[in-house]
Amino acid sequence: MRSIIEVEKIGKQYFLGRRETVQPTVREAVKSSLESAVEFWSRNAGHGHRAIWALRDVSFQVAPGEVVGIIGSNGAGKSTLLRILARITRPTTGAAQLFGRTGSLLGISTGFHPDLTGRENIYLNGAILGMKRREIARKFDEIVAFAQIDNFLDTPTKRYSSGMYLRLGFAIAAHLDPEILLLDEVLTMADVSFQQKCLERVRVAGAQGTTVLFVSHNFESVRSVCSRALRLEGGTITDDGPPEAVVSNYLLQLPERELISV
Amino acid sequence: MSTLIESATAITVLPHRAISRQLPNEPITRIQPPKFWEAINLAEIWAQREVFYFLMWRDLKVRYKQTVIGVAWVVLQPILITIVFAIFLGRLIKVPSDGMPYPIFAYASLLLWTFASNAILSSSYSLVLNAHIITRVYFSRLLIPAAAIGVRLLDFVIASGVLIGLMTYYRIPVTRAALCLPLFVLMIGALTLAIGLLGASLNVRYRDVGTIMPILLQAWMFVSPIVYSSAVVPARLRFLYSLNPLVGIIDGYRAALFNLPFDWPSIVMSALVIAPLLIVSMHVFIKMESTFADDV
Repeated sequence: MRSIIEVEKIGKQYFLGRRETVQPTVREAVKSSLESAVEFWSRNAGHGHRAIWALRDVSFQVAPGEVVGIIGSNGAGKSTLLRILARITRPTTGAAQLFGRTGSLLGISTGFHPDLTGRENIYLNGAILGMKRREIARKFDEIVAFAQIDNFLDTPTKRYSSGMYLRLGFAIAAHLDPEILLLDEVLTMADVSFQQKCLERVRVAGAQGTTVLFVSHNFESVRSVCSRALRLEGGTITDDGPPEAVVSNYLLQLPERELISV
Repeated sequence: MSTLIESATAITVLPHRAISRQLPNEPITRIQPPKFWEAINLAEIWAQREVFYFLMWRDLKVRYKQTVIGVAWVVLQPILITIVFAIFLGRLIKVPSDGMPYPIFAYASLLLWTFASNAILSSSYSLVLNAHIITRVYFSRLLIPAAAIGVRLLDFVIASGVLIGLMTYYRIPVTRAALCLPLFVLMIGALTLAIGLLGASLNVRYRDVGTIMPILLQAWMFVSPIVYSSAVVPARLRFLYSLNPLVGIIDGYRAALFNLPFDWPSIVMSALVIAPLLIVSMHVFIKMESTFADDV
């Protein structure tokens, strides 16, 4: 069966300690472009500063309808991978192909404007995530019902609690109905009942044929909704298989790693 | 358990996707490292035009919710500046104004200038101000400065209402020359877009660009025939002076409004400067677009 996501040797390099000041100024840029004429256009010049590879040679394929959990320690590159697949940032090496429409929820309150009301933000956020006006209007009631903000529709979102922000953000992304859904740590600020709701929604989406990539630290959720799990460590894939096995391996290896790092 | 069942039934049943349904032969999205020369994907921009409308709508909505003066400021700004210049350059110093009454002479060009300078500044800050969107969702980043400029264009249209009022007051007839007005609005729009995109992309990486911009704009204002007639420029400096694309635009705009003679050479010169500038600026923007989310 053909894959809906093909990732080939994706790598992402970041440069550290490149700037003494918070942001480079034009004066510094002029100075260093006298040193190297290429610097102005090419960020990859690096000129002697430390570089880290957040991702290195990451390759995998996802079949349509798979719900893939992505786990790993902090800084392993999970969010970077999702950001590359969501086209937020470009890879340094490698390539990927996506054979379906992609929707992503990579952080809460995407595109929300604090002064606009919940109702207005639904339209704004929906448009930013790629929905047409008519689509948003049709699904408006379902989105509001899912997010449970019926009473707060006409209040500016700056008055919302972080939980409400998250519920609304997830509700909009969930109703996008894309073929590929990218979710990054969307459960962190959700209370138990909303977590259940989100997971159920992901499960339903998976059953209906949507492909989901789901980054989470919550192993329970990975075990309950995912059909497959990938483990990222230090920018590379170290494990790939059924969620039960991958999570167990990860937990088993924890004490060892802590000893090594001491 | 019951809440789980409740919430499950509240969820819409999605249309079932047959797993064996054919995947497209060509990928919908292709992800690659940035190349040296990136093409501008106009089809994608057109497909995302709703985002553009929404960004504009959002900025307008927020602006009118917060300020008491709101819409009035759009009109007040050029009027107040015109009054100041009318007193000092019109009355006290008596700067030449192509034979027109100074206030309307200055107001017409200040209208264009207020649009251009405000649009360039908002465009330059737009990417940094929208950092939280750029780092979370993908859509063509070109739409963000474009929306900032679009909002200012709307302001220009509103403030033009006062211009019509002034034309009636000074009893200036509208002639066929006014048919050329859209050309000059188009030209200044293109110029603003070109500089605005450069400002926006450079400001993401080098934050002091945003601080330098107002100073450069101030200087540019005086180098252009906005509050004085270009007749003051001696003939031998005329060519050099016309290299400034605003010269052709402002003179042409006033000629169209007040039925003055058109200076076609300087208009052609402006177009010849604006076109390559716009192309280069769009390519610089697209080139730097791939690192906006990392830098902002």
